[in-house]
Amino acid sequence: MIDRRLFVHFDWFLFIIVALLATIGVVNIYSATIGTDSQIYQKQIYWLMIGISFMVLFLLMDYSNLEVIAYIIYCVIILLLIVVIAMGRSSLGAQRWLNLGFISIQPSEFSKISLIIALSKYFSNKWIPPQGLNVKELIIPVILFVIPFFLITKQPDLGTAMILGLIFFSMVLLIRIRTKILIVTSGLLVSIVPLTWYYLKDYQKARLMSFLKPAQDPLGSGYHLIQSKIAIGSGGIFGEGFLNGTQGRLLFLPEHHTDFIFSILAEEWGFIGSFCVTGLFLLLIIMGLNTAKHAKDRFGSLLAFGVTSMFFWHVVINIGMVTGMLPVVGAPLPFFSYGGSFLVTVIFGVGILLNVSMRRFILR
Amino acid sequence: MNKGTKWLQFRIISILIFFLLSFIIIVARDFQLQIIYKNKLEARARSQYLKKINLLPERGGIYDRNLNELAISIEVDSVYAHPAKVAKPKTLARTIAPVLLTGKMRIEDKLLSNSPFVWLKRQIDLAKGERERISGIKGVGLMKESKRFYPPPNLASNVIGFVGHDSTGLEGIELEYNRHLIGGDVKVYGERDALGREMLFGDLEKSHPIKGNDLILTIDKTIQYIAEKELRKVVRTTEAKAGMVIVMDPNTGEVLAMANLPTFDPNNFWDYRPQDWRNRSITDSYEPGSIFKVFLLAAALEEGIVGPNDIFYCENGKYKVADRVFHDVKKHGWLSVTNIIKYSSNIGAIKIGEKLGGEQYVRYIDSFGFGKSTGIDIIGEASGVVKRFERSKVSLATASFGHGVSTTAIQLVTAISAIANGGFLYKPYIAKSIISPDGMVVKEFNPTVVRRVVSEETAFMVKNILRGVTEEGGTGAKASLADIKIAGKTGTAQKPDLIYGGYAPGKYISSFLGFAPADSPRLAVLVLIDEPAGDFYGSTIAAPVFREIMKKSMAYLGLFPGRKLNVAKKMIPVYKEIKHTEIKKGRIPDFRDKSMRMVMRIANEIPVKLKIMGSGRTVSQRPLPGSEIGSDSVVEVRFQ
Repeated sequence: MIDRRLFVHFDWFLFIIVALLATIGVVNIYSATIGTDSQIYQKQIYWLMIGISFMVLFLLMDYSNLEVIAYIIYCVIILLLIVVIAMGRSSLGAQRWLNLGFISIQPSEFSKISLIIALSKYFSNKWIPPQGLNVKELIIPVILFVIPFFLITKQPDLGTAMILGLIFFSMVLLIRIRTKILIVTSGLLVSIVPLTWYYLKDYQKARLMSFLKPAQDPLGSGYHLIQSKIAIGSGGIFGEGFLNGTQGRLLFLPEHHTDFIFSILAEEWGFIGSFCVTGLFLLLIIMGLNTAKHAKDRFGSLLAFGVTSMFFWHVVINIGMVTGMLPVVGAPLPFFSYGGSFLVTVIFGVGILLNVSMRRFILR
Repeated sequence: MNKGTKWLQFRIISILIFFLLSFIIIVARDFQLQIIYKNKLEARARSQYLKKINLLPERGGIYDRNLNELAISIEVDSVYAHPAKVAKPKTLARTIAPVLLTGKMRIEDKLLSNSPFVWLKRQIDLAKGERERISGIKGVGLMKESKRFYPPPNLASNVIGFVGHDSTGLEGIELEYNRHLIGGDVKVYGERDALGREMLFGDLEKSHPIKGNDLILTIDKTIQYIAEKELRKVVRTTEAKAGMVIVMDPNTGEVLAMANLPTFDPNNFWDYRPQDWRNRSITDSYEPGSIFKVFLLAAALEEGIVGPNDIFYCENGKYKVADRVFHDVKKHGWLSVTNIIKYSSNIGAIKIGEKLGGEQYVRYIDSFGFGKSTGIDIIGEASGVVKRFERSKVSLATASFGHGVSTTAIQLVTAISAIANGGFLYKPYIAKSIISPDGMVVKEFNPTVVRRVVSEETAFMVKNILRGVTEEGGTGAKASLADIKIAGKTGTAQKPDLIYGGYAPGKYISSFLGFAPADSPRLAVLVLIDEPAGDFYGSTIAAPVFREIMKKSMAYLGLFPGRKLNVAKKMIPVYKEIKHTEIKKGRIPDFRDKSMRMVMRIANEIPVKLKIMGSGRTVSQRPLPGSEIGSDSVVEVRFQ
C-alpha cells in the first residue's frame, strides 16, 4: 500500500519550511500570551498535534481518494455551516463556532479546503475551451462557491468570506475564463462596493473608516491599527528581544495573539525576524506553486494551487492589514495566529501539498 | 506536453511573479515601519507605556552629637488616582476633598483630566480609618512617601535649613549635605498597561525608595537649647533687631551651638520671611568693635613690641590722629596693656596699634582668618572685609579698636579659640560623621589645624589679660562666674550708616567674646546682639548672656566644680540606687557607670536592643535596671 518511493520523493524541503514556521509560530504565541493567559500556547500545541495527526493519516493514502469523496466533504461542511447559523454560539458579535462539547470548531475555516477540493474535482473533469470558460460553464463553480460564501457572510465572517472569494477567483483565473466575463464581473464588483456599505455592520464600517483615516479616532476603531504600527515600528532592526515586546505584553495591542500576532513577532524580533518569516512564507508559496506545476494530474495540480493561493492570500492580507496597507478584516496568519480550526486547516493544506508532491511520479 | 498544461505553466509563472511582487511590497512596508519610521513609532510606544513617577526617597536623619534627632523623615501617605477608572469624579471630589484637606475644585480638575495618573494630595498624615476608606475607592490609591519633620522645639533651624517639596535640601545643612542625605535615585520609571492598570504600580507601593545616609552634627542639642533660650530672652528684653550665639569647642573647632535670631519653624518655612531663614552667624559680617582688640593684643605680644605691663598714656579720653579725634568712653591717664584691655580703652589700643604698625597688624588679622571664609561646612559663608590700612594712620587707628574691618561671627569665635587652645587656628566644622542606613560610618570629620597663629606663651599672656576683663572693675565683670574663671572681651560697635555714610547714631552692636575655664578652656562663646534698644554696651547687654550660657553649659557638661545646678539635675537623671549589678535572668541589667565596651558586652548576652547616646561612661539608662525584659526591649543608654 505504501510505496517505498513515497519516502524518496517526500518533499523534505517543504516539510522543513513548514516545521520552522510552526515552531516559530508556537514560540511567538508563547511570548504574546504568557503574561495574560498561559494556557493559550499549550492549546495551540494540542491543535498542532491534531492537525499533524490528520496530515499523517492523509499522507498514507493517495490524494486522488479525495476526488471520490470531494462532494461529500463539501456537503458535510455546508451542513455544518448551516448548523452554526442555526445554533452556533455567539462570540464577538458573530456566530462562528460550533460547540462539540469538549471543543469548539469553526466550520468556516474548513470550508476553504472543502471548496478547494470541490472546485478541483469539478475543473479536473471539465474540458476547458482555449478561450476560457463561458458563463454557462461557470454556473456550477459559482454555485459551489456562493453557497458557503453566503452562509459565512451570514455569520458574519467577512474575512473568511473574502478569502473564500479570493481562492475561488484565483482558481478560476488559473483555469482561464473569458476575458469578457472578467471585465464584466470586475465592473460589477466595483459598482457593488458602494452598495455593500449599507449591508455592512457598524463595526465593519468603522474598520473601513479607520483604515482610511486611522488618526481620526485613535482610541476607537483606529486603535488596532495605530497600536499595531507602533508595535512593529518599535521593533527596529533587531527587535526588543523574546518576551520583551512591550506593546503586546502590556495589552496595548488587542487580539495580539490572533489577527495581530505578526506585530508581536515584528516588535520582538525586529525587521530581521519579520523578514525571515516573510521569506519562509514566500518559500512555502513557491514550493506550493512548484508542486502545482509538477503534479501528476490536473486534480492534484488544482488542489496544490488552491491550497497555495489560500496561504498566499492569508499571508498577504494579514501582513498588509497589520502594517496598515489594507483595511482590518479578520484574516489570520497561517501557523502564527491562535485558532484551532484554522491551524488544522493550514496543516491539512500542507498535507495536501506534501501528498501531491510525493506522488507526482506515481501514476495510477 | 499538450497545449493545456503549457497554458497552465504560463499562468503559474505569471501568478508566481504576482506573488513575488506582493511579498516585495510587504517586506518594503516592514522596512519602512521598522527602520525608517522606527524612532517616531518607538517614541510613541514609550510615551504610552512609560510613566515617570517621582518618588520621594527616605532622606537620612540629622542628629546632634548625642544622637538626638534634629531632622527626621517620617512616613506619610500620598494619594493618587487613575482618573479613567474613577466612576463618579464629581461625587468623589466632594467626599474626598475634606479628608485630604484640599479644595473640591482642585480634586475635581485632577479627576477630570486626561492624564492616566494624578496625585490628589501628597504627604498627608491620614488616620487609619481614612486610609482604609480611601484605598477602598476604585481608581484611587495610596502610596507611602517620606516627609521631612523637624521635631520641636525646632532647634538650630537656621543651621539645619529645610527641604523643599521634592525632598531636596534648600537651605543650610540640608542643602550642604544634600548629596549624602538624599536617598538613591529619585525617579522611578513604571510601566503601565493599556488599561492604566495598577498592577505595575503595585510593586512600587510596596517598594521603598532607597534611604539616605544619616548625618551627625557636632551640635549639642542641650547647649544649643541653652544658647537659643538665653539669646531669645535678651533679644526680647532689649528689642534687638537680631542676635546670634556661637558655642565652639576651642580644642577642635567643633561648633557645639549656633543660635540665630530671628529664626523660623522649618516645618512651615513658607510662613516666614526669607531673611528669617538666614544663618546670620556665617552669612552676615559686622564691624566687631572692641572685641577685636584681643587680636591686636595677641599680635603686639607675639611680635614682642609690648609686654603686659608696659604702660601707655591714654590722653585723658581725647586723641588726635591725622585729622581725626578719637574718644574713650571713660577718661584714662596712664594704663598698662592689661588695663587697656580691661577697661577697653580705644586710645590705648590705637597707641598699641601705632607701635605695632599697620603692616604687622594686617598680617596677624589675616593669620587669624579674618577677611577670608573659614571654610565651615555650611553653605553661604561670607568672608568679611579687611581693608588694607598699612598706609593710612586713621585706618590703622580705627582698626585697632575693631572698626573699618568686618568679620563674621564664626570668624570671631574661631579666632578666639586659637587664643584659648594655645595658638592653633582650627577650621570650624559642624558635621561630625556620616552614617549609612545599616549603621556603617561612611565618613568621619576630624579637627583640622589651619595654622599656628601665635605661640603658646603669647596665648597664655592674652588669656591672662582677658581674665582681667571679667574681674572686678573690668568691662566684662558681668560675665564672671563664681566658680569658673572666664577670659573674654566686651565689644560695643557702632553700626555704619549705609545711606548717609559714617556711623548711624544710636545703632550699636553689643558683643562678648570669650572662653572658659580660662586655665583649660572647654568652650568658646560669642554673643552678638544687633541693635539693642536703650542700653547698648557689651558690658551690660552681652556679658550677662555670655555668663548664663557659660554657666548652664558648664553645669550640663559637668565641669562645674562644687555644687550642681538645676539644669544638671534635669539633664542627668539620677535614679535610685540598685545594689545588684549582676544580671538576673529576664531582667534588665545595670549599665550605669560602665564603659561603652562593657555595656556592649553585657547587652550581647541578653535579648535587648541598645540605643546608645553620647560617648564616655554611662550616666543614665531607661528602663531602669531590674525591669522586666519585654519581647523586643530597647534599652536607651546615655553616655557622657
